[in-house]
Amino acid sequence: MRVARCLEVWKMGTINYLESIKLQKKLVSDRKTNKISDTLLSLQHPLTYTLGKRRTDHNMLIPMSQLKKIGAELHYTQRGGDITFHGPHQAILYPIISLREIGLGARNYVEKLELTMIELASLYGVKACAGQKGETGVWVGERKIGAIGVQISNGITSHGLAFNIDPDLNYFKHIVPCGIADKGVTSLRKETGLEKCKSQRWEGQGSFKGLQWLC
Amino acid sequence: MALGMWASSTANALRISYASKAHLSPAFSFSRCFSTVLDGLKYASSHEWVKHEGPVATIGITDHAQDHLGEVVFVDLPETGVAVTQGGSFGAVESVKATSDVNSPISGEIVEVNTKLSETPGLINSSPYEDGWIIKVKPSSPSELGSLMGPKEYTKFCEEEDH
Repeated sequence: MRVARCLEVWKMGTINYLESIKLQKKLVSDRKTNKISDTLLSLQHPLTYTLGKRRTDHNMLIPMSQLKKIGAELHYTQRGGDITFHGPHQAILYPIISLREIGLGARNYVEKLELTMIELASLYGVKACAGQKGETGVWVGERKIGAIGVQISNGITSHGLAFNIDPDLNYFKHIVPCGIADKGVTSLRKETGLEKCKSQRWEGQGSFKGLQWLC
Repeated sequence: MALGMWASSTANALRISYASKAHLSPAFSFSRCFSTVLDGLKYASSHEWVKHEGPVATIGITDHAQDHLGEVVFVDLPETGVAVTQGGSFGAVESVKATSDVNSPISGEIVEVNTKLSETPGLINSSPYEDGWIIKVKPSSPSELGSLMGPKEYTKFCEEEDH
């Protein structure tokens, strides 16, 4: 019998990466003990590069000194996935949810995160699709528009997805994005040419349409 | 307010379509779970198995778990000599850009680690109960095995979890 569940959404604006990690750790712990319901963080980060659990440093192409010059931070995380970039006008969702309660495994959960981004892209007339095997994420042709990196601890998720609304794509040149050397990155702005492709709209209806499977 | 109403109406719409999809999955997951749960092992609710043979217990993740994870591309292995506690995490696996922690079904000391998983993490998918074993532990409280599920119980647990 399906019991009605609650999803609490936090619209956070721009938040420093380490602050978001600290918050997620607390929320994961609270979710594990059922102090809180499933929670969704909707946010952006300032200029930040992050690495996953495998610590694929070789995919960072510039030294720390140059990172500092451009005002970007670099952080090592426990999430899955390779190196990626976060910055203004990239929409990030971090669902803190209990997969066990909805009977989902990692693979199905990640597929649903991909679908979320595919549906959002389609709202703007962009035909995106999930990656081939080994290329988890959301693609428009050979260009990646959305990335995924998740951590699952005792069945509770953290980290999540990053969707390029209109970030400065030049920042991706400093890395081998997601460890995939021969493909590019793109954004909703680049694919649609829309002038007013601002992240604030994402924090409205668009971002949650694809997440209806959570309810 | 409008967003909330719109969200709940789409959620309702999805509940109908999700429910119809769910009718397809139980038979599949039931038969998969039933056919790939081994006798002679004990099972944790977090989908790890343990095989107790004399002074050593071998631990891995179940076929149900590897199927739900997808292709394993990386295994974060612990060191030997490290203590594990029942229900506590001792490592992690990465698949489809997700790292999932692996918990020990029993308490004890790690005496051996399957280093083959560093080179061939896919053994967890292809042979979850044999070549894909993860650690061997010297149990500190053998009575803990009594709190774990047997094959029939675990099969039913999988079926219920998959709705």
